[in-house]
Parts: sequence; C-alpha cells; structure tokens
Amino acid sequence: MFLGTVVYAVINSVILALMAIGFNLTFGITGVANFAYGSLYVFSAYLSWMLLNWLGIPFLLSAAVSILVTMILGALMYRFILLRVRGQALSEVIATFGIGLAILELFRYFGMVGFEYTLPVFVDHSLMIAGVYVDMQRVLIVVIGLALIVALWVFTHHSSIGLAFRGIAQDERTALTLGIDSDWIATLSVSLGAGLAALAATVIVPLGSIAPAEGYDVLIKALAVCIVGGLGSTGGVIVASFAIGFAERFTDTYLSSHWTMIVSLAAILLVLAIKPSGLFGKQKELEERI
Amino acid sequence: MKRIVGLISLVLLLSPGFILSGSIGFAADPIVIAVPTSLGFLEGKESHKVVQMAVSEINARGGVRVGGVQRPFEVAAIDIRDAAPGVPVPEALLGIEKIILEKKPAAIVVGPFRSEALIAGMDIIAKYKVPMLGTIAMSPGSEAKLKKDPEKYKYIFRTCLNAVHLVKYLAGTMALINEEFGFNKVYVMHQDVAWARATGEFVKKVYFDKAGWEVVGTEAYPTGTSDFSSALMKARASGAQVIMPIFDMPQSGILVKQWKSMKVPALMAGFISPLAGSGAWKTFDGKIGGAINCIFELGSAIYAANLPQSKDFYNKYQNTYGNPLQAGHGPAPAYESVYILAEAIERANSLEPDAIVAELQKTDRTGVMGRVRYDEGHQAVFGNDPNESAVAAVFQWTEKGSRKIIFPASLAEGKIELPAGLKSAK
Repeated sequence: MFLGTVVYAVINSVILALMAIGFNLTFGITGVANFAYGSLYVFSAYLSWMLLNWLGIPFLLSAAVSILVTMILGALMYRFILLRVRGQALSEVIATFGIGLAILELFRYFGMVGFEYTLPVFVDHSLMIAGVYVDMQRVLIVVIGLALIVALWVFTHHSSIGLAFRGIAQDERTALTLGIDSDWIATLSVSLGAGLAALAATVIVPLGSIAPAEGYDVLIKALAVCIVGGLGSTGGVIVASFAIGFAERFTDTYLSSHWTMIVSLAAILLVLAIKPSGLFGKQKELEERI
Repeated sequence: MKRIVGLISLVLLLSPGFILSGSIGFAADPIVIAVPTSLGFLEGKESHKVVQMAVSEINARGGVRVGGVQRPFEVAAIDIRDAAPGVPVPEALLGIEKIILEKKPAAIVVGPFRSEALIAGMDIIAKYKVPMLGTIAMSPGSEAKLKKDPEKYKYIFRTCLNAVHLVKYLAGTMALINEEFGFNKVYVMHQDVAWARATGEFVKKVYFDKAGWEVVGTEAYPTGTSDFSSALMKARASGAQVIMPIFDMPQSGILVKQWKSMKVPALMAGFISPLAGSGAWKTFDGKIGGAINCIFELGSAIYAANLPQSKDFYNKYQNTYGNPLQAGHGPAPAYESVYILAEAIERANSLEPDAIVAELQKTDRTGVMGRVRYDEGHQAVFGNDPNESAVAAVFQWTEKGSRKIIFPASLAEGKIELPAGLKSAK
C-alpha cells in the first residue's frame, strides 16, 4: 500500500507540474499572470477532439495541430490585448480572466457538454510497478513530464531565444539595451505557455474527460502550485508539485479523501503565512525582508 | 481593438446561457414553464431538451385548455450552475428568483441539480408560490422540510428518484449479487454531496448491516476529484468483492478507467453517471464490460422492451435530436412532469398555484417510467412493478458493449455475469 501510494503520488506530482509549468513560464518571463491558462488547456483538448471526431484526423496529428493553434491563440492574445495593458497587473488579470471565461462559456453555450468528450490513450496497457498496476498513460505522463522539464532547462540555458527569455526575466531594461525585443520575447513566452497548457491537456485528458469546468480546476491547481513554489521559479514549481502531489495522495490513503482538498489548501495557507513569496520565489522577497 | 473588445463583451453578455424557446401561432398568451437548472451538465442539458420536446408535442396537439381557451406552453430556461464545483448556493438561488420574477412562470420543471440548492431554494419557491416538479435533486431532506410545514412548502414535488428509493434499488442489486455469487464484502465510494452521502449511509444502515455484509471501507470524494487510486488500492487490500460507487460528477468516469487499468478484483456495482448512456462504451474504449449501473428512472438513457412507452420516448428523443439520451437521471421524469403539469392545469381549469397543487397531489399517470403517483411528501413513489409505481432500472454492461437490465425482476433481460478474472464465492 505504501509503495503503491508513492507511485501514484509521483504520478500526481508530475500531473500537477505539467499543469503549472506553462503558467509559471509566462509569469516568470513577462510578469503576466495568464488567467486564461485553464481555458487554453480546455480549448486545446476540445480542438483535438473536434479534429479527431469531426474531421477524422489521427489523434497524434490532431494533438500537434491543436498545440500549434493554441500557441498561435496565445500569441494573438498577447499582441492584441495584453500588450495594451502590459505592466498593469490588475488589468492583465481582468483581461486574461475575461478571455478565459469567454472561451469556456462559448463551449458551454454551444452545448459541448457530455461524457463523450474525451481523448484516446496513447497506449492501452497496464504495468505492475511496486506491486500495483499502473496504466501506460500515467507512466507516459511521468516520462513526458520529466523530459519536458529537462528540455525546458536546455532550451532556456542553451538557445538564443531561451537566453533572451532569461534576460527579459532578469532585467527587461538591460535586455533592451542589448538588442532584445521585449515585446517579441513576451509574445513568444505567452505563446509557449499556451503551448505547454495544450501539451498538458494532450497527455492528461485521456485519463478522464473534457468539460468547461476543467478550465477553472486547472487554473486553480496551477495557481496553487505556483504560489507554494514561488511565482516564476521553475525549481519552485517542481518542488511544490511534489509537495502537494504527495500530500494529496498520502492524505487519501492514510486519512481520508474527504480531507484532500483541505490539506492542499492548508499547505498553501501555511506557505503564504511563513513565506509569502513562496518556497523559491523572488517576487516581493526584498519587501518581505524589509 | 474596439471591435475585438466589442466582440468579447458580446460573448460575455451571451454567456450566462439565458435561453428562451416556445411555440408561436396561438392567439392566447402562452403558459410559461421555467427550467432553472445546471444546463452545462449532461443531466440538465438533456432534461431541458426533453421539456422542449414535450412542450412541442403538447402545443402541436393544441396546447392546454384553461378557462375555455387553448393556450400553448412556453419554456424559459436559465443556467443556475449549482452543479459546478465552487458555485455557492446563494448564487444558484439568485438564478431561480430571477427567472420567477422576470418570466412569471406558471410552474417550474427540473429545478436545482444539487439538493443543497433545492432545500435552500424551497423558501423562495414557497414565497412566490410557484409549483415545482423537481427531476434531478435527490436528497430526502426536501421531503422532511415539506413535512414539517406542508402548507408553506406544498408547491414542491419531485418526479425523479430520491435517495431513499435509490437505496432500495441498490440494496436489491446487492441482494441479487449475494444470492448469485455469495459476495458479502463491499467498499463504498461516494461523492461528497448531500444525496450521495445520504445514499451511502442509508444502504449501509438498511441493508449491509442487516444482511450480514462487511463494509470494508468508505471513501467520500469532493466534487472534481480526478484520481481514485488510493481508494482502489484500499479496496484491493481489504479484500472487497464489490465496489459500490455513487457519483454524478463527470470526473467519475476516471474511476471506471482506473478500476480497469489497476485490475481491481471486485465487481463495480452502483451509480456512475458517465456509465449510464449507450455512448459510454465508445467513451471508455470498451473497457467497462461487467460494470453494473443504475438508471434512476426508466426511459432516461435506457428503455425496457416490456414497457412500450419507455421505448417510444427513447426513440422519439433520438429522432428529434439525432442522438440517443445519455443521462441516466433526469430526462424521463422531466418529460413526464410536463405532461403531469398539463393534466393538472386542465383538471384545475386554472393557473392559480393552489389549484394546480391540489390537482398535482391527485396525479395518477402511467407513462415513460411506469405509474406516477406522489406520496404525502410529494415524492413520486418508486417500486419494482411499472404497473404499480414508477421504476428505475439496474443494468450490466456486457463484454460485447450492450446493456442488459438485471434488476428489478419485472424488467430483467438477463442475469449478472462476472467480469473476466473474478470468481464467484459460492
């Protein structure tokens, strides 16, 4: 039972990290809290479903197209809306939340509600790991999640765009003096964040189904992980995902699932009370010290 | 930029889902039926559609005769979103009050999704004296509240199954499983909402404890939960032979997938809403063979060959909307409620609420879900014989992807078959 719980806690943690990493990336680079993030996750899942079921396009191709379209949508969202309110935190939140709400409600308005909205698993098989059966989709989620974290590290440390991302994140004005176009980089970062939401949807949705309400759920989970880990800190997101992921599964197993949500919320409140900038956050850290 | 902002504003304005539909061509004013429910959830969406279907049929036959005048029905719906996680009850109540004040309905059909919203909303319904025929919320708490002050709350009726009657069907199914296979260890998993909690507790109290079953574990999951691995591991470790799920949230489909992928050697028998409709086989890639599920009212997502009205209704919906019904709870009583209301108004020959209520209390109608009569708590009476009462249906998914009714005996199309890998204890 203990080892089984550890296995599913690792899976849960990677799922949380996948859900949060795109939100965190965008915030870390541009400072924009993209509250449309959960909606982009749902948008991508529905788009894959439509391409697969209405046009008969193979699943992997549908997923690739939907990731690309979601990235374009993220870029357009920045260029045509967020650019106008950049730097005004409240306006950014209102604008992105409004866009997210509109996307989710449009799906609801057009009646895309039901249990048939789901995506197929990549491989239909189960494995025995540490004495407990785990389906291949969950194993793949862990593999893809870990590969993604490594790929993002390589991208941000060894590519010119990645280095530009880090430059903007560290000091936008200095980056500008070095010829880095901050608006273009910010557009790319929002687009990449949207793409990561879409990738998360592609691998996670086959476990369950698609519903407009999922958008709010994903946003809340991403926010929770980022707040605990420290907004903008990739290392913080990973640590927080594992902290919350393990807390949830161990609460399920050794207390009761009834308390799972409360334990997660308590963890967030505790971190906020002790270190408001999060475990590894740099935002407002100086103000805290003063 | 202004155009984009304008477009977004328009979308946001349209999003609350305030929809009006009805018929035209009558000289007399229409009689408004309000449908305030969670339209964004399958049960609410399909219930709203069958109300429109019933209204179209009644209007096509000339409408309802009141005071010597034929008047059409008109449907006004509002999405009160009470089924969505995190939506507070007061917000749902605002939606109910809004539609009552703005549309002046003669009656409400379908009503709140969550019992929490229904019980709290009973005061609003009593205040405005609007008869309501609920078809989704299931907690017997509303009947208890009505019985405490019948004069005040007499406007509230329930045509669908309630948790007490569901307990009888679940207990009947468990007795059948015990009789055929000798199983007597059960793990109960339910959603952490009023009706599901009440159902889980009642089944334990009125059946498992008395029939010598061992409840090896109980787990309550908050709405929105998407990982059931811990409870499934516990069920396996405790030697459970049966898992009894009670869920109406979309995410509960994950439970079925995990049950299969984790190869838990226990029979899944209870209620999981995503398993109810014929489309579940495709949704779950055919991995649900052997699962036993309860359809709360015959006609909702399944029909019985020996009750032609249920088959007619099922086919009529498919012909009207192009797809078969998928919700195992809500549509059949919503359809029946419109006819029950029409008949009550005609008998009362008035739209006066107290007169309609007096006639609703006298209801005795045989239709899609059997014979409908209301008890003293204004709850439709459910039993095992469609000639005597309304009926639910418990079915099993076969390994070939079809559904066969296994309980009650009056509707049964076959016997329970154990899924591969599971052996009888007899």
